[in-house]
Amino acid sequence: MNTAALQTRAQEIVVDEAFPHAPEAIWRTLTSGELMGRWLGMEPSGFEPVAGNRFTYRTTSAGEWDGTIQCEALDVIPNERFAYSWKGGHEGNAGYGAPLDTVVTFTLEKVEGGTRLRLVHSGFVLPRNDTAYRNMSGGWNKVVPRIGAMTGEHASS
Amino acid sequence: MLIHAAMIQTSSIDEVMRALADPTRRAVFERIASSDEINVAELTRTSGVTQGAVSQHLKSLKRAGLVVERPQGRNVFYRAKPEGLAPLFDWLSHYDAFWRERFANLRTLLKEIDP
Repeated sequence: MNTAALQTRAQEIVVDEAFPHAPEAIWRTLTSGELMGRWLGMEPSGFEPVAGNRFTYRTTSAGEWDGTIQCEALDVIPNERFAYSWKGGHEGNAGYGAPLDTVVTFTLEKVEGGTRLRLVHSGFVLPRNDTAYRNMSGGWNKVVPRIGAMTGEHASS
Repeated sequence: MLIHAAMIQTSSIDEVMRALADPTRRAVFERIASSDEINVAELTRTSGVTQGAVSQHLKSLKRAGLVVERPQGRNVFYRAKPEGLAPLFDWLSHYDAFWRERFANLRTLLKEIDP
């Protein structure tokens, strides 16, 4: 019996875009609670841009999860890199509100005429089944590279 | 907001995730997926659990749209339906959409505060 073929695999989301603004301006929007609220739609509680700082976001609740996202600043390098953990959900939920133990990383790179901002939201664990997908068009093996291709297409916009 | 993730076909995702959350059931699904077709007797022989337990797992997998059955005489054969895993991709792609939207908001905000 082939028990190894069905595994869980961590997936990540990548968005990579260039902005016509200096890294310092973008950094401010990433690390000011008030500005975060304006573009992220959630203002953090207890946030300070210091590694080790614990803060929370509040979003829509689901089942036994009250919608609190627990975060910890992991890496704070001004104008270059900001990473924090993003944990939430409850074991009683599947789909939306299921347990998430993920990491959000913003990387800023100065480029001609502005800044390239790259977001990686990593640690999504999904079941994977190579056998089941081997012969399936539009399946796992196709979809994952497509997500990659989409982010690539947007990189220069 | 993560609200977007809630608007997708959550019932289907819930069922798929629930169905695959159980390690024994996941093993049953994998056993089916690695065969063209398989019946309960053979699944029971190779899964190490009772036939009753296998039947229960099959019921969950069917409900989640992960397997289909084909009756033949007194036998029922099961086969994997990989399309059933599609909702999981939707779930991930909604987080993808979440961040794309936020990037668009960020672009607007930056124009405003750093013209």
